[in-house]
Formats: sequence, structure tokens, C-alpha cells
Amino acid sequence: MSDFLFFLEVLIGGLLAGSLYALVALGFVLIYKASFVFNFAQSSFVFFAALSLCGFMELGLPMWAAVPVAISLMVVVGMATERLVLRPLVGQSEETLLMATIGLAFVVEGLAQAVWGVEVRTLDLGVGHHPIEWVMDRWGMLINKFDLVAAIVAWILVAVLALVFSRTKVGRGLRAVADDNSAALSIGIPLSHIWMLVWATAGVVALVAGMLWGARNGVQFALVDLALKALPVLIIGGFTSVPGVVVAGLLVGAFESVTEFYIGPLVGGGIDAWTPYALAVVFLMFRAEGLFGEKIIRRV
Amino acid sequence: MLFREAGQFHTSYAQDSRLLPLRRDRIRMAILLVAGFLVVPFIANDYWLDAILIPWLTLSLVAQGQNILMGYAGQLSLGSAGFMAAGAFACYNIILRIDGIGFIAAVLLSGVCAALIGIVFGLPSLRVRGLYLMVATLASQFFIVWALNKIEWFTNYDPAGVITAQHIFVLGHEFDTSVEKYLVVLGIVSVLTLLAANMAHGSPGRAWMAVRDMDVAAEVNGLSLLRTKLQAFAISSFYCGVGGALYTYAYLETVEPSAFTIHMSFLILFMALIGGLGTIKGPFFGAAFILFIPIVLNVISNEVFGNAVNLSLLSALEQLIFGVMIIVILIFEPLGLARIWQLFKQRLRLWPFRH
Amino acid sequence: MTAPVQSPRRAFDIGAPILELESISLRFGGVQALTNISFNVLEHEVRAIIGPNGAGKSSMLNVINGVYVPQEGTIAFRGEQVKGMKPTRAARLGIARTFQNIALFRGMSVLDNIMAGRTLQSRAGFLEVALQLPRARREETANREAAEEIIEFLAIEHIRRTPVARLPYGLQKRVELGRALAANPKVLLLDEPMAGMNIEEKQDMCRFILDVNDHYGTTVVLIEHDMGVVMDLSDRVVVLDYGRKIGDGTPDEVRSNQDVINAYLGVAH
Repeated sequence: MSDFLFFLEVLIGGLLAGSLYALVALGFVLIYKASFVFNFAQSSFVFFAALSLCGFMELGLPMWAAVPVAISLMVVVGMATERLVLRPLVGQSEETLLMATIGLAFVVEGLAQAVWGVEVRTLDLGVGHHPIEWVMDRWGMLINKFDLVAAIVAWILVAVLALVFSRTKVGRGLRAVADDNSAALSIGIPLSHIWMLVWATAGVVALVAGMLWGARNGVQFALVDLALKALPVLIIGGFTSVPGVVVAGLLVGAFESVTEFYIGPLVGGGIDAWTPYALAVVFLMFRAEGLFGEKIIRRV
Repeated sequence: MLFREAGQFHTSYAQDSRLLPLRRDRIRMAILLVAGFLVVPFIANDYWLDAILIPWLTLSLVAQGQNILMGYAGQLSLGSAGFMAAGAFACYNIILRIDGIGFIAAVLLSGVCAALIGIVFGLPSLRVRGLYLMVATLASQFFIVWALNKIEWFTNYDPAGVITAQHIFVLGHEFDTSVEKYLVVLGIVSVLTLLAANMAHGSPGRAWMAVRDMDVAAEVNGLSLLRTKLQAFAISSFYCGVGGALYTYAYLETVEPSAFTIHMSFLILFMALIGGLGTIKGPFFGAAFILFIPIVLNVISNEVFGNAVNLSLLSALEQLIFGVMIIVILIFEPLGLARIWQLFKQRLRLWPFRH
Repeated sequence: MTAPVQSPRRAFDIGAPILELESISLRFGGVQALTNISFNVLEHEVRAIIGPNGAGKSSMLNVINGVYVPQEGTIAFRGEQVKGMKPTRAARLGIARTFQNIALFRGMSVLDNIMAGRTLQSRAGFLEVALQLPRARREETANREAAEEIIEFLAIEHIRRTPVARLPYGLQKRVELGRALAANPKVLLLDEPMAGMNIEEKQDMCRFILDVNDHYGTTVVLIEHDMGVVMDLSDRVVVLDYGRKIGDGTPDEVRSNQDVINAYLGVAH
């Protein structure tokens, strides 16, 4: 197989993985856009959602029933977070809120494993994890069918959410709430409904991401580390931009994959553990607000 | 009633600026040190020394490093376990490759190595802060562990990728038993804590807090943000590195790079936070708490359920409890256990009166 | 209008220009904050900068101090041009300042805040402080003495250990003045030092400013809205409006300047 085709294969593999990173990052963006809180626990939500789904299915529910149950559970988790963690800390510094969501991450992870146990689960979504035959036959490239389907699902979800945010009444309400709570209240926007919607959406995103990643790699604690890769994506794409995290996700995925395959063998491999973070650091040094984020201005 | 401050008059600024200006505090510290050095070795059994006191002391030192960086200088970091690893492996290689070097010198040198690495990975702090900085420190965490794993020179080409700590030699004498290791650790931790207290209390501490509270005003007063922040990273990494070396040599004894996980970095952060950021005694409280919970859980589960309890359930519960504690502390007493202790002492002072 | 403050006979005669600003222009994105501003500040004088809200007064101080970098123009200190003024450079030259919105270090006590102002006077490195070597101890005591002098001068002994976040506004402003004084500055930039104060507090602050100028010879540049204070305290005044200089002279000259009167009365121009 020619060099170019190999590069393409590596690149596409990275882009597909990157689409999933973008999906996880989307959960962060949703919550941040609506409440200016960075929910560090979103990565743990991914794990929690996927694990709970498996748990419900083990209890006997078929998948089409387990999914809505899992979604409702995520909504409950979200509401509990808002009520028990965020509300008591209203007005505190950004750092305090960040620490609180880190604590939340531990709570969610601990809870998930205490309730459902620590065994690795497999999740079968009905799509095969094998190379697409006609691509293999035609060009000799290995492109995993599941990865492609997963990426497409991710893109669809992202597109739907982006449209909802910018075009619909609900989306506008969300942005109003993010900008100014009391002002939004005073024009009749029902705050608690909006919160519920935001957390439900973030929960759905977490569940979908968890299902896709879980079906690919197994539903296990390592999912959290994987989901943490959304952090560099957010840095690079900006916390408030949906197109930003999409582009950034693709960029991070591609970068991670290409460097691992081309530079990795020279230094012993496994560099994908830190390359996304290194890329984020480079971005931080030169463009701290990310590709699409808002420039941070401080008044003295 | 139990404590009296009245009747102590300082006649010089030097007296007033001491670390422990009140006599009762000095007496208490003296008692604590005497107990630590002279009493504990005789009454504590090996389990207490090896499984409780030594890890508590070494992790307190690491948490102190985190406290210096986060509590005093206000720089959010998740890289502490990486610097622990750097310190541990530096110590191993120093003792391995430099003949006849004493343990204390090796430990201090490995702290310096960790400090130098800390300066490099602290550079992003000049551009960003808060969450952004935290993600940048994750880069250092993952990179350091990867490098220690891949570059086999660090593990001396061990096929399993593991290092075994050499025996501790101070001034030619081997410190091998639990008591001896405990004394070495206690000595190093006490001295380094004193140095940290001196710094926090004096101009470096003021510089860090100025940068933490209002960096523009700090600059206007002549502080170089670059020097202050990098200095904080360096000193913090030094403490994490020394703590990591002691943790490895006196506690774990065999370790691989992957043991210093991001989970551990989180725990160190929790120790500093729960204990009380911006206080010197906070890390000790925090480390005690984090070490204490698993032990308590173990005891409770053994009492109530016998040995039938799933270990992974226990560790999941631990995680749950840590997370809840963080949230509770942030909501109700952001200044941590150190502050709760301080309030308790004040109550004690007025007892039996309420106020 | 505050009661007239009696200032003692001047101990330091007004001297040569210590600060010279030439053609300073400052832009933020599309907003022109300052346009072609030139004026000087003479050593040992009290120079007021006045003007309606939004005239660019704080921006002017920020430029002198190096917090903002002007797109055009030069700053000269004691006759020598300073290329690329930065806050730390300004501090080393001996320029100290207070901020409009109080920039105290909230996590520290009054004493610590003031001692933080002595940063440039400390030579001892962190290791010396850690090990409490003689030089570090001497400097700490010297810093403490200097800080106590200022605390006495400002009559804030009773709150020296109080965390500044717990202090009322007026006292916080006083502490901030103390921190600026701790650096032994040649030039003191004060951004609305009396904002939000009642009559007594204003009188106290006036007294402090005059004392600083008189006893230490510190040149003072202050932004102030209270006309009475300006007229009583200052030797010369600069008037800004919409980022331009519209008046420069003694208080009496400026008071009778028609442009200045128009600017304050809001006459369209």
C-alpha cells in the first residue's frame, strides 16, 4: 500500500476518533454556555451513563427501554448537581466551582462503581467492529466500520444541537439564561425548565458518547481518562463554541493519530497519552482563548 | 480557660514576627517534636509506623508542595504525582550512579531535579491561569510518566519496568528498620516544613499571595510575575519530588512509573484543599484525612460484614466519600480542616463560656 | 466642597520635570481613549488630572505606569526617555500607584499588604528566607520597621493584623495608600483616592497626601472629582475631556478656562 494511502488511513482513523472527542467536549460546552460553569465531571458522566445503561440492561431491560431510563437518570444527576453543588456555591470564584466539579467527578465515579461494580462490560450496538470491505478491497485502507458509523452519529448529534441552539426559541432562551439569570427571569423565561433541558441534553450527549466509546473500548473506568481528552479539545476550540469543538476535536484526533503512527515508533510509542495535551499547551502559549473562543479581556 | 495569651509582650519586631509568637504555641510545638522523635519510636508498632505514619508524613510533604503552588501562589495544578515520580526516579538514579552519596544528599538533589522540571512545565502559567493552567499541568503529568516508562535508562533497563529502592544510608549508617526509616522521614519532613513556614511567612510568601490575589497590583509593586510564578513552581515541585522520593524509599520500596497516576494527583489536590489551602499545617490534616478514610472504611466493613466485603466496593466508596467531602468543605468551610481546628481552639480558649 | 485644608510651609521647592509625556495616543480596538496628550509633572509638585467621566484619566495613569502601552507617544522620567514602560519598570524607577477600584491583596492582612510594597527593597532570596539567614532576618525587621512607620503615619495601628477584605471601604483606600508609600516612591499616582468617602475621611486623606508631599517630597499625581479638593491640594492641573487635553495650568487658570467650563457643563462641542 502506498505511503499516501497509509497516511490517509491514519488520518481518517484519527478524524473518526476526534469526532468522538468532539462529542464528549460538546457536553462541557453545553453546560458552560448555559451557566458559565465548567463541569469537570462531564467526563465522569460519560462513564456513569454508559455503565448505568449496561447495568439496566443486565437487570433485564432491553436496550430500547434502558436508554430512556438512563437518560432520565442523567437528568436526575444533573438536577441534583445543580441543586446540591452549584446553587450553594453561587457567586464563588471560578476556581472554587472548578474544584467542586472535580469533587463531583469523584462522587459520580465512586457512585457508578459502588452501584454497578467494576467489571468491564461490553456493549453491542449492532454495528460490526471490522474494516469496511469495499474500502479495503479498493484502496487497501483499513477503516473500521464502527468508527465511521460512530463518527457519523456524533456529527449528526452535534449538528442538531448547534441548530437548536442558534435557531430555536429554546436555544435563545438558553443563551439569555447564560448571559444574565435575573434578566432572563424578568422576561418570563422559566429558569428551572431551562436548567432541566440543559442537563438533560448534556446527559444525552454523555450517554451517546459513553455508548459509542464503550462499544468500541469496553465500558470500564478507563473511559474516564479517554473522556479527559476532551479537555485539550476544549482548550483548542474554546469553551463556548460548538463549531470550535468540532474543528478542535478533529484536529486533536488527527494530530494524535498521525504523531503516534509516524513519530511514535521512533520514541517507543504510546505518545498519544500526552500529545493532545502538548498540542493544547502550544495553543495556550499563542492563542489562549482557542480557535473560536471569546478573547478574555481584563479591566483594571 | 485552657489557653492563656494574656501577659505576653513583645519588645522587638523580631520577636513579634516569629513563626510562633505565642509561648503556648512554642511549647506545644516542642512537645509535638519531642513526642515525634523520642516517644513514638518506642511505643508505636511496625504497622503504625509503616502503614500510617510514614505515608502520612511523606504525603503531607507532597501536599505541602501542592499547597505552596495552589494555596499560596494560586496556580492550579494537577501535576503533583508526575513530580513525585520525577523525584523518586531521580533519587534512584542518583544513588545508583553516584557512588557513596548519602541518602539525604540524594533526596535533596532529586528534589532539585524535580524543581528544574517544574520550572519548564510551569511556563504556561505565564500565559494562562485557572482551568487552562490545570490542563497544561496535565500535560506534564502524562508526559513525565510516559518518559519514565519509555526511556529505559531511568529504570536501569529493568525488564519489568520497575525500580527497587536501595537501602537508606545516612552518614554511613544503614537505616533499615521501620523505626529508623520513620526517623529519617520525620527529620526531613520537619526541617522542610520549617523552611516552608519561613518562606510562607516572609517575603516569598507575600510575593506568592500577591500574585495569587491581584497580579496587576503585584507587578505595580515591583514583583516580576515570571520570577514569582516560576519560583513557586520550582519550590512546589521540589517538595513534591522530595515527598515522592521519601514515599518510594520509606514506604513503597518497589515502584513503577505508572503508579504515579492522575488519580494520585487528584488525591494530592484533595489533601491540600481539604486540609486548608494557604496554611502550613493544612496539608498534614488533609493527608491524614485522605489516609484515614480507607482505614476507617476497612475497619467498619470488617466489623460489620466480616471479610466478605468486595475490595473494589470499598475503593468506590472511598472515592465517593472524598468527592462528597470536597463539595462539603467548599460549601461550608472553604478554609478547610485547618480553619475548623483553629475555630475549635478558640472555642476551647473561652470554654466554659460560649463567647 | 470640603473645608479648606491648611498646608504648612512647603519644605521641598518645586523642581525640574520628573515626568514628561509627549503626544500620547491610546486605542482599544475601535475606541480612542487618549489622543495626542502632552504634559509634564514637576518634581515635588501636586498635579491633579481632572475631567468628566470617561475622559481617559485612569487610562492616562495606566500609561504612565506601564499597565497600558500607548500606540504613539513617549514617556520620559527625569529627562530620560523610557522605551517600553512596564509596571515592574515603573516600580523600579520609583513610581507607585493606587487604583480606582482598590487593588489590595485580599487574602492578606494590612501589615502584609504594606510589607508587600517593600518588595523592591528586599535583596534576600527565597533560600535565605527559608533558612532564616542573617540578611533575610535583617531585611524582614527593616521592612517591618518601615511598614510600622507608615502604619503610624496613617493611624491604622489598630487594624494591622486584620485581613483587608474585612475592612470598610475608606480604610481599604488608606491601606492601599500605605502600600504605595511603602515603596518610598518618587512619584505617587493616585486614582481617585477619595472616591466614596465622607467629609471626615476626605479631610484625613487630604492631610495624608499633603503630608506625604511635604515631609517626603513625593511628587503626587492624582485623579480627583471633588473640585474643592483639587483647588486646595494641587499646584497645577491637567484637564482631559474625551481623551484630549483641554486645559493645563494652575487651579485658578483652569477654573476660568472656558473650554473646561463647557466640558463640565456638557455644552455641545
